[in-house]
Amino acid sequence: MPIERSDLLQGTLDMLILKIAALGPVHGYGISQRIRQISKEVLQVQQGSLYPALHRLEKRGWLEADWGSSSNGRQAKFYRLSSKGRKQLDKEQSNWERLSEAVALIMQTAH
Amino acid sequence: MKWRKLFVLRANEKQLDDELHFHFEELMDQKIAAGIDPEQARREATLEFGGNEQIKEECRDVHRIATLETTLANLKSAFRFIRKSPTFSLAIILTIALAIGANSAVFSAVDAILLKPLPFPDANGLMLLHQYNPKRKTPESVTAPVRLEEWNRSNSTFHAITGYYTEDASETSGSMPEKLTIAWVAPRFLQVWGVAPEIGRDFRPEELHFGGPNAVLISNRLWERRFHADPGAVGKTLRMGKYSYPIVGIMPASFLFPDREVDVWSPVPIDAPYTHDRNSTWYTTIGRLKPGVTIEQARANLAAVQAQLGREFPKTDKDLTVEIQPLKETTVAGVRRSLLILLGSVSLLLLIACSNIAALLLARTTQREREISIRYSLGASRRSIVAQLLTESFALATIGAGIGLAVAAAASHAFRLLAKSLPRVEEISLDWRIVLYTLACAIGATLLFGFAPAIHASRRSLSTSLANNSRTQVSARLSGQWALVGVQVALAVTLLIGAGLLLRSFQELGRVSPGFDAAHVLTFHITGSYGETADMKKLNQRIQTTLEALRAVPGVKNAATSIFVPGASFKYPDELTIVDTPSLPDRKVVADMRFVSAGYFETVQIPMLAGHSCQNTNTETAVVNRSFVNTYLANLSPLGHHFNVSHDFYVHAPPEIVGISSDDREDSLNQAPVPTVYRCVEGGNPDPFYLVRTAGDPAAMASTIRRAIQKILPSRSVFDITPLEQRLYDSLAENRLRTLLLTLFALTAISLACVGIYGTLSYFVTVRNRETGLRIALGALPNQILKKFLVRGVGISVAGCIAGLLLAAALTRLLAGMLYGISRSDFLTYSGVAAIVLIVAASASLLPALRASHVDAMRVLREE
Repeated sequence: MPIERSDLLQGTLDMLILKIAALGPVHGYGISQRIRQISKEVLQVQQGSLYPALHRLEKRGWLEADWGSSSNGRQAKFYRLSSKGRKQLDKEQSNWERLSEAVALIMQTAH
Repeated sequence: MKWRKLFVLRANEKQLDDELHFHFEELMDQKIAAGIDPEQARREATLEFGGNEQIKEECRDVHRIATLETTLANLKSAFRFIRKSPTFSLAIILTIALAIGANSAVFSAVDAILLKPLPFPDANGLMLLHQYNPKRKTPESVTAPVRLEEWNRSNSTFHAITGYYTEDASETSGSMPEKLTIAWVAPRFLQVWGVAPEIGRDFRPEELHFGGPNAVLISNRLWERRFHADPGAVGKTLRMGKYSYPIVGIMPASFLFPDREVDVWSPVPIDAPYTHDRNSTWYTTIGRLKPGVTIEQARANLAAVQAQLGREFPKTDKDLTVEIQPLKETTVAGVRRSLLILLGSVSLLLLIACSNIAALLLARTTQREREISIRYSLGASRRSIVAQLLTESFALATIGAGIGLAVAAAASHAFRLLAKSLPRVEEISLDWRIVLYTLACAIGATLLFGFAPAIHASRRSLSTSLANNSRTQVSARLSGQWALVGVQVALAVTLLIGAGLLLRSFQELGRVSPGFDAAHVLTFHITGSYGETADMKKLNQRIQTTLEALRAVPGVKNAATSIFVPGASFKYPDELTIVDTPSLPDRKVVADMRFVSAGYFETVQIPMLAGHSCQNTNTETAVVNRSFVNTYLANLSPLGHHFNVSHDFYVHAPPEIVGISSDDREDSLNQAPVPTVYRCVEGGNPDPFYLVRTAGDPAAMASTIRRAIQKILPSRSVFDITPLEQRLYDSLAENRLRTLLLTLFALTAISLACVGIYGTLSYFVTVRNRETGLRIALGALPNQILKKFLVRGVGISVAGCIAGLLLAAALTRLLAGMLYGISRSDFLTYSGVAAIVLIVAASASLLPALRASHVDAMRVLREE
C-alpha cells in the first residue's frame, strides 16, 4: 500500500529529495519517479508537496538549479546538491539513523 | 487577486509554469508509452497532477517573504486586533499620542530655534562682530562707525559689514504722536542680509551722505497698521522730531531684524561730523562672510586689520581686538540649555510611555498564547509572527502619532503664547520636518515597546502551550513586566526630582527679599533720541522737568528715572579707580554701574545707610551700596571720596561718593547683590525708564500719567507702561516656562508609572487567582495575601525609586545654574519625591492587592 505525503514524517521528504539529488542533477519529475521506484512503489510524492519543497530547499541554498535538456530533448529544471546541502543531508541522515534504530529497538523489545 | 502577481517577478512565474508543464508532459508521455490512448492519458495525468494553480501558489509562497502583501495582510490583522479590543487599544493610543505629541511640540521649538538657520538667505554666513579690549574685562557690544567703515574697507574675508542701533522715536504725522522703534543703520544694510524690500527700493547712495535726502524703509507690521497694506504708502512721509522721512520701501513680513519690535529702518550718513570720533561707539556690527570663508579665517583677517589700525591710531585702537561669533549662536545660545533639557525630559517621558505600553502588550501577548500557538502549528515561521506583532504595535504607534501631531500643533500654539520672550519663537511652526520627526518617534517607539513582547510571545516553547490547559498554569513570574515597571518608576523619579528642584528654586525665589519695594511702582518710557545726548545739560533739564511734572500729578508719591529697572536688568560692570585715597586697594575695582535720577532710592524704597541719596546738584555725585563698601573700602570712610571711570561718556569730573545704600538685587531677583555704583545722572540715556510710586493701583494710573506727559511734552510718546511687579514677573518667564513644562512632564510620567504599577499588579493578581484561592483554602489569612501582593508592587517601586534617585543625582548637574537657593542634591526634594512616589506606588498597589485578598476560594477551586 503506497504511503502518501500526509503520512510521511515532517522533514522526511526534504531528506529524501536531498538524497536523490545527491546522486546527480535531476528534475522534479525524475525525483518523484525515483522515490517511487527505489521505495518499490511504497512512497508516492504528490506534486503539491514536491514542488514547494524543491523551491524551499533551493531558497535555503541546499539545492542549486539550472535549466537543461532532458533525455527526450525537452527543457527542464535540474536540481543538484550544493555543498551546504550535502552537510545538511549528512546531518539529517545520521539523525534519521539514530531515530530509526531507537524506534526499532523499542518495537523489538516491547513484545 | 491579479495584483498579487505584481509582487512576483515575471521571469520566475514563467519558469514555474515551464517546470510544472514539463512534469505534466513527462507524465503523459509515460502513460502513452504504457499504451494508453492520448486523450485518456491526458485526462489521467490531469487528475494525478492535482490543482496546478494551487501548487504554483504554494511555490510562490516560498519566495514571498516580507513583501508589501504580507505587510498589508499584517496591517489588516492589526486593525482587526485594534477593533477587537477597543479599550486596550485606546489606552495605548492615548498614551502614545500624549508622549509623541509632547515630543513633537518640544521638537518643533528646538527645530525652529536651535536647528534651522536664521530666516535670511545663506544665514550661516552672518556674523556678529565686537570690538573688544582684553585689558578691560568688560564686554563692548558696539563699535564706532568710523572703525566699522575701516573694517569693511580693509578686510578680505567679508562680503560686506554693516551695523545698526535702535531707538524709540515719536512719530507725529498722525493725530496723536505714536511711538515707533527705529533702527538706524550703516551702509550696506540690506546687502548683508541678502533681503530686498517687498515693495519699493533699497537706499540710494545719496541718501547715505550727510546733507542728502532722508529715507526710511518700513516694516510690514507698520505698513498694515498705519497704511492698511496700501502699496501707495511708498512715497508718503513719516515725521520724527524736526524732520520728515519719505518712505522708499516696505520690507517683507518675515524680516524681523534686529527684533520684532522694529518699525522703521533709516540710514545714518557715513560722513556726518559726529561719526568721526573713534571713541563714540554705537553700532552693533553684523557681517556676511564671503562664500567658503571659515570663521577662523575671518578672525585672523580682522585681527590683522585691527592691528594695522592700532599702529595708525595708537591712542584709541592700540588695545582693541575684534571678536567674531555666528549671529545665530548669539541669538539662541541663551535658551539652548533650557530647550535641550526640555527635549531630554520629553524623551524620558516617551521612554516611560513605551515601557508602560510594552508591559501592557506583554500581558496581552501572554493571553494570546493560544492564538500564536495555533499559527505556529499551521506552519507560520517565527519571523512572520514577530512581523505580525510588530505591525500591530506600529499601527497603534502610527495612530497615536497622528493624534500626537494634532496635540503638537495645539501645544506649539500654546508654546508661542507662553514663551513670547524666547528668541525666534514666531518661527515655530509644524512643517514636514516635524512630521518626519513624529514618524521617526513612532517607528522608534514601535521597536521600543513592540520588540520585547513580540520576541517573548513568539518563543517556540510557548507553542507547546496549545497542548497544556492554560488554566492549570500557576507560576507566571512576569519578570519582564516587573522590570519595565521598575524602569518607569526610575524615569518618573528622575523627572520628578528635576521638576522638584526647579519648583523649590522658584519657591526660594519667592521668599527672597529684593531689597527694594516693587509694589505700587509704575514704569514706562518717553521717546527720546540719541541726538539729544549732544547737549547733556539740556537733556538732564528736560528729564528733571518731566519728573517734577510727574510728582505733581495727584496720586503720585514720587518719581525717578533709571537706565535699568531694578530686579529685571542685566550686569553692566565697569572698572573704576578711586582717587584721593592714601591707601588704594591693590586689586581692580569693578562695580556694576547704574545711572539714576534724584528720587530713585525713595521711589523704589532702597534704604540709605549713610550720607544722602541722589539729589539735583551741580556737581557729579554717586551712591555706592554696602557690598561695594565691604569689598573695596572696608577700612576707609567712603563718603567724600572721588572716583574715575575708565571711559566715560556722560560726565567729565570725577564723581563724589555722597551716600551708602543698603544692598538690593538690581540685576535679577535670582542673583545676589554685587558691588554697585549708582551715578546720579538723569540722562545717562535719552530714553531711560521712568519709575513712579503711586498711592493706589499703579496700572490704574496709566492714562492719568499719559495725559500729564501729553500736556508738557506734546511731541513725545509715552510707551511700554507696565507695573514694576509685572516686569519682575515677566523677567522670569523663561524660567517659569521651563519649570511649568518640566513639572507637567513629571506629573504625566508619575501618572503613567502609576498606571503601569496598577495594571501589572492587577494582571499579576489575575494570573495568580488560582494559586491565591488555593492558599486561602489551605488557611492563609486575607491579610497575608494582601501583604504578599502589596510587597510585590511596592518592592519593585522601591527598587525603581532607588535607581531613579541615583540617575537623578547624576543628571541634575545639567540643571546647574538654573537652581536658586538650593543645591542640586537638595535633601528635601529627594526625600519628598521618594515619599510621594512610594505613597503613589502603595496606593496603586492597594486595589489589586485588596482584590486578591478577597478571592472566593470555593469559586476559584470549583472552576478548576
